[in-house]
Amino acid sequence: MSASDPLVLAGPAEPGRQTHVLGGFRRFARRSPTTAFWAVVAAVIVLVAILAPLIAPYDPLAANFRLMSKPPSEAAWFGTDQVGRDVLSRVIHGSQTSLMVAAAAVLFGTTVGALWGLACGYFGGRFDLFSQRVIEFMQSFPDLILAMAIAMALGAGTWTVILAIAITRIPFGGRVVRSVVLSVKEMPFVEAARGLGASHLRLMLRHILPQCIAPFLILATAHLGVAIIIEASLGFLGVGIPPPMPTWGNMLADSLNAGLVPPWWLVLFPGLAITLTVLAFNLLGDGLRDLLDPRLRGSV
Amino acid sequence: MRASRLVRAELMLGYMSRRLALGALTVFGVSILVFGIMRVLPGDPLVAIFGPDGFTRLTEDQRAGYMAELGLSDPLHVQYLRWMGDILRGEFGRSFFRSESVADMILRRGPLTAQIAFLSVLLSWVIGLPVAIVSALRPNSLADNVVRFISILFLAVPGFWLGMLIVLGLLFAFGYRAPLTGASLLNDPWTTLQMIAGPAIVLGLGQAAYIARMARSSLLEVIREDYVRTARAKGVNRRAVIRLHALPNALLPVVTLSGILLGFVLAGSIPVERAFGTPGLGSAMYTAVSERDVFVMQNLVFLYAVVFVILNIAIDILIAWIDPRIRFQ
Repeated sequence: MSASDPLVLAGPAEPGRQTHVLGGFRRFARRSPTTAFWAVVAAVIVLVAILAPLIAPYDPLAANFRLMSKPPSEAAWFGTDQVGRDVLSRVIHGSQTSLMVAAAAVLFGTTVGALWGLACGYFGGRFDLFSQRVIEFMQSFPDLILAMAIAMALGAGTWTVILAIAITRIPFGGRVVRSVVLSVKEMPFVEAARGLGASHLRLMLRHILPQCIAPFLILATAHLGVAIIIEASLGFLGVGIPPPMPTWGNMLADSLNAGLVPPWWLVLFPGLAITLTVLAFNLLGDGLRDLLDPRLRGSV
Repeated sequence: MRASRLVRAELMLGYMSRRLALGALTVFGVSILVFGIMRVLPGDPLVAIFGPDGFTRLTEDQRAGYMAELGLSDPLHVQYLRWMGDILRGEFGRSFFRSESVADMILRRGPLTAQIAFLSVLLSWVIGLPVAIVSALRPNSLADNVVRFISILFLAVPGFWLGMLIVLGLLFAFGYRAPLTGASLLNDPWTTLQMIAGPAIVLGLGQAAYIARMARSSLLEVIREDYVRTARAKGVNRRAVIRLHALPNALLPVVTLSGILLGFVLAGSIPVERAFGTPGLGSAMYTAVSERDVFVMQNLVFLYAVVFVILNIAIDILIAWIDPRIRFQ
């Protein structure tokens, strides 16, 4: 299964130099203009998500029975849905939910995975052997099916969806960090620290963990896109965040209820939002990987 | 010659038995996980069945009665063993809401999803591989960059959304709607093909993007190897070197990836079948999830995971058979 895991080979990266944020971005833009472009797109999407209530032209939940299923017009750029809610406002508010859920799930899942991987790689032995089997069991489910089962068992809700997606991310964090730890823990500086009498906890957190940050960041960005797609799929299948709160997934599911043939604007715009967001985060992740760890350049 | 063949067979058998033993362990672990998710997580099965409102309306006696009737008041290990026993006897239980048994449903709907999966894998290779070769032979050319962007784009497009767009597009442009009920492959292949074509194309394109990326990077790596350079240096033409030397070696990781992707196709077919309205196993899973049909879900999730594990074992054995380096590990 490691063949699918492009980051297993990720080694420790060079420690980053601290510079002014803007200056850093300018240098970054010169080194990799496309990555900088997608970083800006991603930043704009994040900004839209944060400022959703200010940007959205209408209330995303307000039904208007005089304007049901209207195609895009000057007043409602993305049209209205079957109960007259403004699709643009719903897409904008949906970005908030989708991004928050995806980010929380990835952060939570990969962090738990990373700490687990750190312990596995550091201690090795029976604990590691057992953990690797458990991780293998978890990876025996396709992501979406595991997330569906957990979300269904726990019942609908924002936290359930976050937890369901987070659990599917644990094995990835675990595997990547474990492999980095395995190579780092044999390095002279770790041995030196051990020789100076550092405790296990200090060795792990102070000396080994910082070396895992670059691969961890790459992994987290790369998985943000996957998490957004899983969230949308869960919403589409009716086990995501329950309506009326708009998410891109449940908007698409809703459009199937809008009649025998769903109006095209109800289908097109939420999907475009998903695609653009995932694309931006994937390309940003790829670019970060190339910058932080040049050895992986050109790999999957 | 004969001796070496014997050694080869022995190594292969050893590898297979180790892999199968590991597989059996994994299936056991998976069953524990599925059982744990469905029964031990803090969701009450009765809440799942009756919904939160219905659940509060039940009296204590009714609750206890239902729990006992469903076998849910027994100790967990008894429930687990009974579940495993049922599965070994080929009984997958019954839905709360439908009369058809789960086993019959799997037999009726499974083939459609299997055909979708098979066709989509075929498509992914037919599309992904040529694209990867073109890309890898001229890295960083215009064609390479276009292909890379398109494959990255397809990783970002949710399959079910693409499916909805295709359904809408065909309807607007040609007034065409794929048949929804159907026929088996043997007595009406044309109807079946129309039913599976849409989902297979959508899922195939998604996989093709992964296949193209993997095959490209793997080819780029292999092309730099000494034996490829040697072959070129001794005058073998470019085409033959790619076909005979580079491709066979570059394809090994792609075969592994394709096996893993096949598992994800099974998962991806759930929303995609919903988007197309295809009555396969995926839409059965959708129905089970939306009705919160715990027992059907438990069995279907387990079935999907077992299929996934078996596929992975099959791919590993296939790889070991093709590539002697694996057998010796």
